[in-house]
Amino acid sequence: MALVTQFQLQQRAARARERARGRAGSPALRVVGRRLLAAIPVLIGVTFLTFSIMSALPNDTAQAILGLNASPSAVAALNHTLGLDQPFWQRYWHWLSNVLHGNFGNTVQGASVNHELAIHVPTTLALVLYALVVSVGLSIIVASLAARRPNGIADRISLTVSMLGLSTAPYVFAFLLIIVFAVKLPWFPVLSGAVTGPGSFFKNLTLPACSIGFGLFAIYTRLLRADMVEQMQREDYIVTAKAKGVPPWRVLLRHALRNSMFNLITVIGLNLGGLVGAAAIIETIFQVQGIGNDLLTGISNHDVALVEGITLIFALVTVAGNLLADLAYAVLDPRIRYGSSNS
Amino acid sequence: MNGIQAPDALLAVEDLRVAFAVGGREVRAVDGVSYVVGPGKTLAIIGESGSGKTVGCRAIMGLLPAGTSISGSARLRGTEMIGLNDSEMRRHRGQDMAMIFQDPSRSLNPTMRVGVQITEAIRTHRKVDRSEARVQAIELLRLVRIPAAERRFHEYPHQLSGGMRQRIMIAMALACRPKLLIADEATTALDVTTQAQIMELLLELQAELGMALILISHDLGLAASYADEVVVMYAGKIVEQAPARRLFGAGGTVKMRYTRALLDAIPHLERAAHTELPVVGGRPPDPTALPVGCSFAPRCPAAADDCMVEEPALTEHAAGHRWACYHPCENGVSA
Amino acid sequence: MAAPIPEAMLATPGAPALPSLVSARRLRSQRIGRALRLWIPAGILILLLAICFVLPLIVTMPSSTSGNIIYNNESPFSPGHLLGTNVQGVDIFSQLVYGGQVAFEVALSVTLIGLVIGCTLGITAGYFGGWVDAVISRVFDVLIAFPALVLALVIAEGLGPSETHVIWALSVFGIPAFGRISRGATLTVRALPYLTAARLSGTRAWRIIARHILPNIMPAIVTFSLLGIGIVIILEGALDYLGYGIPLPESSWGSMIAQGQQILTAQPEYVLIPSIALVITVASVNMLGDALRERWGVQ
Repeated sequence: MALVTQFQLQQRAARARERARGRAGSPALRVVGRRLLAAIPVLIGVTFLTFSIMSALPNDTAQAILGLNASPSAVAALNHTLGLDQPFWQRYWHWLSNVLHGNFGNTVQGASVNHELAIHVPTTLALVLYALVVSVGLSIIVASLAARRPNGIADRISLTVSMLGLSTAPYVFAFLLIIVFAVKLPWFPVLSGAVTGPGSFFKNLTLPACSIGFGLFAIYTRLLRADMVEQMQREDYIVTAKAKGVPPWRVLLRHALRNSMFNLITVIGLNLGGLVGAAAIIETIFQVQGIGNDLLTGISNHDVALVEGITLIFALVTVAGNLLADLAYAVLDPRIRYGSSNS
Repeated sequence: MNGIQAPDALLAVEDLRVAFAVGGREVRAVDGVSYVVGPGKTLAIIGESGSGKTVGCRAIMGLLPAGTSISGSARLRGTEMIGLNDSEMRRHRGQDMAMIFQDPSRSLNPTMRVGVQITEAIRTHRKVDRSEARVQAIELLRLVRIPAAERRFHEYPHQLSGGMRQRIMIAMALACRPKLLIADEATTALDVTTQAQIMELLLELQAELGMALILISHDLGLAASYADEVVVMYAGKIVEQAPARRLFGAGGTVKMRYTRALLDAIPHLERAAHTELPVVGGRPPDPTALPVGCSFAPRCPAAADDCMVEEPALTEHAAGHRWACYHPCENGVSA
Repeated sequence: MAAPIPEAMLATPGAPALPSLVSARRLRSQRIGRALRLWIPAGILILLLAICFVLPLIVTMPSSTSGNIIYNNESPFSPGHLLGTNVQGVDIFSQLVYGGQVAFEVALSVTLIGLVIGCTLGITAGYFGGWVDAVISRVFDVLIAFPALVLALVIAEGLGPSETHVIWALSVFGIPAFGRISRGATLTVRALPYLTAARLSGTRAWRIIARHILPNIMPAIVTFSLLGIGIVIILEGALDYLGYGIPLPESSWGSMIAQGQQILTAQPEYVLIPSIALVITVASVNMLGDALRERWGVQ
């Protein structure tokens, strides 16, 4: 989980504005372009690192598959079939060129990784989106209530709940939710079944999504609340709005919240990596058939292709999140989007 | 002119006091201020930072934080403003009285289009739909002499120059045709040429709309050029109060040492080159530790023993001209 | 022209009283509140550390790794077992205490490693810039592009379960995290005018770093460390839960949760107890970090 401080966010914003200033052509496009280019070496680095680690560590995939009693020749034969006896660079290059053609290779069981991913990515996607929507929506509501009257009741409650959310690991919260909502109150199933439609969507994914979402909610709420309170106290345009006679709720939502959204989007983007990481454990606990679950089984099986493929996806998501965070300013901030035209 | 009974006054402020608690001690930001603004007239409130000039007006507008103790009276067209709760206050704010501020680059929301900020001012008080509000807003933009009003409507504040942003502020303030406009250091952040333009604009609008104007500033020259009535504040109190023509220009009689010092500090073209600018030495007093006696005494060139003992009261010594000093200037010349 | 009067203080009604607008009584209660927010979490942490590290030295604890199966499923406050025993008869309180030792050891080690190595790299990158910065930052980017858990998992799994391997695995995440923060803080401080003056006057780089940069970034680094400790405790717990961390029969909070999961429906307390321990510990660390941030004015 990337913990971003408000200060860092302000720095990012200022840097984004600096970069975009004084350049010909659409500033937004330039930023996007540069970021995309910078992302490629990172992605290559990620896959390389994963590959090296998985290859360098004591590796007994074939042994693990065949069992401890298998003969050395059988192990060697399997190694050869799986291509595990080729030199490192050859294997990596082989894998990389396959990926660039869209082929992620095969799992140790021989199934196509592409196939596995195709089935399981949508489930994880659904889970993650569910968690995001719930956490963002709730945090906007709670943060607004808190910022409306700082140090009031709503504020103190929100601060306490946020602190709990930050301190409770997703897997801990998952068990708490299970105990309360699946065991004591039979509202939800302990283990998730397949998601086939809206009914099963909510039934199966709510507890997992809330487990992931609680921590996120805490981060977003703290940030939003601090940002909005700071604006209401320090910014001159808030005073102007009040001087116009605008009612306090409108001032909060139309002026302060609006400007806080940038920081919120940035933080959402930066935390995307942590989000998918948490999803991995949560999927295991609830037995959600997503790629997080696959990743963990893949790791224990030394299933290089599967682990590489999923790691690549995770890294893509993280990098995309960072990109989104930078773009939040470049694209959405009118100061950058429209440049300045003094006339 | 400052009588407590001024039935046709637009704004009658009487014994306004504003106090904060700072670090456990009480700070009297405004300590017994009274003045009257007639309809369509211009009042200038002059003072240094910390003199209480801004705080007083924000108190009238109800823009001070909770926990501030405000007492006294400020009647806008007979309606008492001090002590109203926030929702009642909001009905008057923007509609009967409006305020514009010092730094237009910070006083406008950077992520909101300029036009929307104006229509917000309109729709807060009037029940009009968006297209009607837009029409009115563009009309306001024309009123404040912004060229290509329709195009400007959709622009963001950072796309406009400082002078234009201030015009937008004025347009927002005038959205509901208030009878009183308070300009808090409205021209301080602008360059000299733009300053003059904005002031001219304000005067034209004042005449067009029959609006009263309060100019808050540290610049006595501004008061001299534009005000009907001048109030000079120091350390939360009024120290001199008079119609402008009594203070400035030919035959002007500035009585207060402080006012005199402010006047002298304005650079004049007629002065010989390289003459040292007579500045007022020292700094404004610490409001938590005001000196006994006259607050200005520590910096006053003519301070005498009686100045340190008891504070001089603000009394009307000449017609329409009040000051608070034991040893005022004679004939507009520093003694 | 000093203006002690806060003429620009224009908050909404009910805004947090900024320090300059508070009455004497309010000021005192504010000060008390601030002190409480610092010392209560600090106190809890000290208590936890004492229980985990000092108590076993004073009191003989029942074994945390093996137990007499005869005495299984004892309830809390039974003689000799403060919190009861688990299905195998192992004393739960002992498990908690020794698990806590592991949690703190790992967290502090990872933080220390991250601090020393990460900050060295980060400050170097931030101060010297150029290709040094480019290289170091790229490496950090790659490491941070992994979700922390995945990276730690892959490493820990490959190396095999052991406390030291867990520390290494988590350090791979900790070093770039500290590196980034210290780099950012260094960049900010470096831009300050008096530092430019120092550089121009020919002061040697390491001197500037030691005497100017380090003291200025310290508050940010320390508060981040505390947050980091919390994160590492959680991550370590996750590794233990998944079975890639501390090997059984050594006890750890994560593995306690994993074991408790088997009988979650029947006896949830086996999961609840280590969970509560985790939450309290991480919450104290977070709150302490918050309080310090407040005190030192770090953003």
